[in-house]
Amino acid sequence: MFSRIFALLIRYKNISFGSFPRLISIFYWPSVQILFWGFFTNFLISNDSDNGLGVINIILSAVVLWDVLFRGQLGLTMSFLEEIWSRNLTNLFISPIREFELVISLIFISFIRTIIGLTPAVFIANYFFDFHLFELGFFLIFFFFNLIVVGWSIGFLVSSLVLRYGHAFEELAWAIIFILLPFSCVYYPLDSLPSLMQKISLMFPPSHIFESMREILINGVIRYDLLKNIIILNVIYLMGSIIFFIKIISISRNKGLLINQGE
Amino acid sequence: MNDSFINVVNLVKNFDNQSVIKNISFNVNKNSIVGILGKNGAGKTTLLGILLGLITPTKGDVYIFGKNLKSYKKEILSQINFQSPYVDLPKKMTVEQNLSFYSRLYGVKNFNKVIETLVSDLKINDLLKKNYGSLSAGQKTKINLCKALLNKPKLLLLDEPTASLDPETSIFIRNYLLAYQKKNKSSILLTSHNLNEVQAMCSNIILLKSGVIVSQGNIKQILKDYNYKTLIELFLSEG
Repeated sequence: MFSRIFALLIRYKNISFGSFPRLISIFYWPSVQILFWGFFTNFLISNDSDNGLGVINIILSAVVLWDVLFRGQLGLTMSFLEEIWSRNLTNLFISPIREFELVISLIFISFIRTIIGLTPAVFIANYFFDFHLFELGFFLIFFFFNLIVVGWSIGFLVSSLVLRYGHAFEELAWAIIFILLPFSCVYYPLDSLPSLMQKISLMFPPSHIFESMREILINGVIRYDLLKNIIILNVIYLMGSIIFFIKIISISRNKGLLINQGE
Repeated sequence: MNDSFINVVNLVKNFDNQSVIKNISFNVNKNSIVGILGKNGAGKTTLLGILLGLITPTKGDVYIFGKNLKSYKKEILSQINFQSPYVDLPKKMTVEQNLSFYSRLYGVKNFNKVIETLVSDLKINDLLKKNYGSLSAGQKTKINLCKALLNKPKLLLLDEPTASLDPETSIFIRNYLLAYQKKNKSSILLTSHNLNEVQAMCSNIILLKSGVIVSQGNIKQILKDYNYKTLIELFLSEG
């Protein structure tokens, strides 16, 4: 089992970091985002507020944490889509690999890609804006882990839909996150949304995560009720998405979709 | 069943409402080379897909090495392999990375040594460091064959093994496969539109037509029974 997972990890490492342009693309966007939001926030607070560093910390924490979700989802989906684009699914699924080994490998590579992608962004933010992500302490690890789990859940969902319905769904790999964004309360509190949107937001873990983050950074309060919701929702969504992914592989075997699937 | 590497019993495959494989049964014996023939749409690819565990049959059973494919899938898959010019390896990796990757997936021990021997035998040493995506169709076919032999399969399934190859390389590959089969006492199941190749390599054939086996058995016996001189004549009349 471990040799097969190790084989897949090396394969995904070769895809992700095998060439300089591909490596750059992993950490380019997070770094640019940090710079963009950092300078923009600096501009706003220089005109309006005395509490500049607090505001900038809240916004940049939100930017970094949102990117954890985005990179987590993208790292998983792109690694799986690469198998389809390479017309490699047939060879992969006729090998003795088990579905759960593929699931574990995709999760691992997504985690590694996310860490590598975001590390430069955090250092850039610290250097330019005196931003201290680690102010969140233990909760930084908690939020990071839970946001990347949301990314994996979405990643498995998108991968499943592309496998089942073909390339038309590839756009979702990029777009789905922006469908979720307004409901995630990344940059604004939950109660600033209309009541219907609030109800929808509460069904997804990100709104609970960003509410918790703001409570800690602004009021220094730990909302255990929100933390509990985050864990429960994430367990449900991750398990559901993995079961869905494995079920779709089974449906694909029934429909003969694993042969000659590719660009 | 003891001498059978493949035992297919009452196999049916329907896609939606279309019946692609219609209640077929056949055996492939140990230490044999069998050709699957049939026009486009006859069900050859679907049959190969079922034997590889890529397609779930609607009805019927497939036994490989005497074990039910449904129940012992992973164990069986570790002892078989497949090559097709229509199935690629990852394009963004070098040939060497690809072969190492698949060696690990199949749990091949001392795989560097195995790869070294295979690439030398198949005369593809100079391609090892090249990106798979940059290779010609013929070169890819050879690399795919190399990948298919990594786990020293007891059963090798080949889909048009010499497609895209020049005549000289085709003969080389054909002879290599014959020598491999003889040396390892393995079985090969191949599909090909090159009927001369099938006649040169296979002892037995299975002729499919619209998902039904219209003829199966020893090539010489079938030609004698149907009173044809060549496989091409048989194929054009019965296929």
